[in-house]
Amino acid sequence: MNMLSLQHFPIYSIMVLFLGAFLIVVFGRSKVVRHSVALLATCASMLFMMGLIKPVMLGGEIISYWMGARVPAGGYAIGIALEVDALSLFFGLLVSTVVFVACIYSIQYMSHDDNVPQYYTLFLMLAGGVMGMVLTGDLFNMFIMVEILTFAAVALTAFRNTVTGALEAAFKYLVVGSIGSTCILAGTIVLYAQMHTLNLGQLAALIPGNLTTSTKLAFALLFIGFCTKAFLVPFHPLAADAHGAAPASISVLISGVLTKSGIYGIIRLTYFLFQSMGLGTMQFWLVFLGSVSMFVCVTMALAQHDFKRLLAFHSISQIGYVLAAVGLSTALGISAGVYHAMNHTIFKGLLFLAAGAVLHETGTTDLGKLGGLSKKMPVTTVMFLVGAAAISGIPPFNGFASKWMIYQASYQKAVESNNIGFLAVTICALVTSTLTLASFVKVTQSVFFGQLPKEYENVKEVPFGMRLAMGILAALCIVTGLVPNYVTRFLTEPAAKAVYHVGAYINSAMGAGYAESVMQTVPVAAEPSFVQHGVWSPVSWLCLLMIALLALTVVATSAKYDKVSLGEATDTKYQLFYGGEKNFYSQVGSDDLFWGFKHNWRHYFSFMHELHSGVVNDYALWAVVALALATLYALVVL
Amino acid sequence: MILFNYIASFFLIVLGLYCIVVKYNLVKTVIGLSILDYGVNLLIITIGFNPGGTAPIFTQGEITPASYFVDPIPQALTLTSIVIGACVTAMSLALVIKLEEQYGTIDTREIRRLRG
Repeated sequence: MNMLSLQHFPIYSIMVLFLGAFLIVVFGRSKVVRHSVALLATCASMLFMMGLIKPVMLGGEIISYWMGARVPAGGYAIGIALEVDALSLFFGLLVSTVVFVACIYSIQYMSHDDNVPQYYTLFLMLAGGVMGMVLTGDLFNMFIMVEILTFAAVALTAFRNTVTGALEAAFKYLVVGSIGSTCILAGTIVLYAQMHTLNLGQLAALIPGNLTTSTKLAFALLFIGFCTKAFLVPFHPLAADAHGAAPASISVLISGVLTKSGIYGIIRLTYFLFQSMGLGTMQFWLVFLGSVSMFVCVTMALAQHDFKRLLAFHSISQIGYVLAAVGLSTALGISAGVYHAMNHTIFKGLLFLAAGAVLHETGTTDLGKLGGLSKKMPVTTVMFLVGAAAISGIPPFNGFASKWMIYQASYQKAVESNNIGFLAVTICALVTSTLTLASFVKVTQSVFFGQLPKEYENVKEVPFGMRLAMGILAALCIVTGLVPNYVTRFLTEPAAKAVYHVGAYINSAMGAGYAESVMQTVPVAAEPSFVQHGVWSPVSWLCLLMIALLALTVVATSAKYDKVSLGEATDTKYQLFYGGEKNFYSQVGSDDLFWGFKHNWRHYFSFMHELHSGVVNDYALWAVVALALATLYALVVL
Repeated sequence: MILFNYIASFFLIVLGLYCIVVKYNLVKTVIGLSILDYGVNLLIITIGFNPGGTAPIFTQGEITPASYFVDPIPQALTLTSIVIGACVTAMSLALVIKLEEQYGTIDTREIRRLRG
């Protein structure tokens, strides 16, 4: 067999990462060797994934690779398989690209730390774990990869163990992450007891016809397991802790890549293994979970005063968008969901890298201490503004394109299913987007603009390698935002179509005709429709918005306005808001920027603050409660 | 007999979760994680067990349709799971030692600098 045939590309792209990890353990003492090994490994992994674009994305092939050429015999999958359909490849491409960029960034970002060889080893293990997880076709193999990535992520969270809270965050993540992993293992083995196979394709063929109490329990266990990996509510505090404490290049991976593996797991579980997305309640709960995640996390983010912790909450908020869109169970919804997943990886990566650049130069991420950095770090500022505009859904950046599709998809679903509830999702998504913009206004104002504190007079722009990494992601932000038609046609629509071609996935693993012989009804692979509901083009709406804004500005600046009276608020720090400040250069504190809004919502905010107590027992309890609820749901409804 | 195994494994799983949720001592949390893991291991090995079956060790051609043995796959899975469990314990204990150095306590209620 030809060693360079496409068949081998998936295993190569996983292997080079693990091989790189081991080489760095042995030869990593030398700086040149470890940097070149890490860069080569991540770059090679990315190139192998790109090599598969033509046959899988455009040609619609599904690549099955059996380890040791142990193909299924007698109708049973015995060996371990890698299965790459368009969905796997989509996530694989995403992962490998961001890993490569994070690797470029790491070289200068980590240059002042000790134990750097161990950092690169763990970095490559984490990347390899995620690659393996999205490319594998075997449920137990998936569990192994989940454990590898969880372990590497925990170790990297505690890597800078002198940073406040790094160890604490790592321990909490390890405890709750282990509960999640154990759930995945228990679910896997319960499925094995019923079906006597671990191959995803064969399981997908066997499960829908044989729904027993045990398989339903397995569904609940696997679902909660993948939810912990995606940090969905109620697991979001772990994400916030871990992102805040980890080095920025690792935050990029945890937020951009690790959460995606959880989302990938949920899609595989609900659409492929159990094919349960036809159920109205299933759609409802996924969309509900997504909406709650997006709203709760964005309000949590508003109350934060640490740069990276704030970004972490936004990260889960955006994952909420992805899950809500995927849960709509329409072709447009899935396409919008994976599009937003891709965009989230890019812009959130960019934002974390910008936060890392600020940390690298100033040594702090406290919003209250920073300010005025735009004069000293112009490139970082521009990069951050691109990322902030993208995450807030401002055209022409990529966040707008995918959010627009999510609004469309949820509205369309509401019209099609005649269910007003889905309209609430559209509204929730819009409100969340506004709150996201609000909190990024706060970050921009308190980090990059305003008065420069005296101690940061000598701050310089970050080195070229870090600027390059940010530049790549910023360029991707703009490119994927400017040509949404091409992105959807070549990347997200094939991925969404793959979700509907369960039969092809099964047959690719088990041999042609297997799905038809085992299943009573093979899911029909009807051509999904990606037509958007609105009859108006978004461009003309954009023009209208511009005109309206211009008109408003003209009217507002020409009119006389009254002084605002503050009533009982006599605290002198609020005087700045009506121009009575004593100190000319005094800056509005990051906590004061939206104080009116926060004041009205103070009960909610203090309730949420109390709830996120930081005690690991509470978080573990939430996990157990979520597991209990999921089990109850699965046993009663599924 | 097999039923007793299932009951015991679920008892261990629940006991492990109870321990993690209720105990405020970090070391006990780690012990809870281990118990949870043992429960799952027992579950796996029970699923692969056939009463009266032999060990699943055969050479080429020795295996016939009449051979009666326990399922080897769950045993392989258990080995992997035991290794992972040992790693979890080692890593979490290492973190506990470091946490004790930094915070001067191993009470979970006092290790909460990250909150809100």
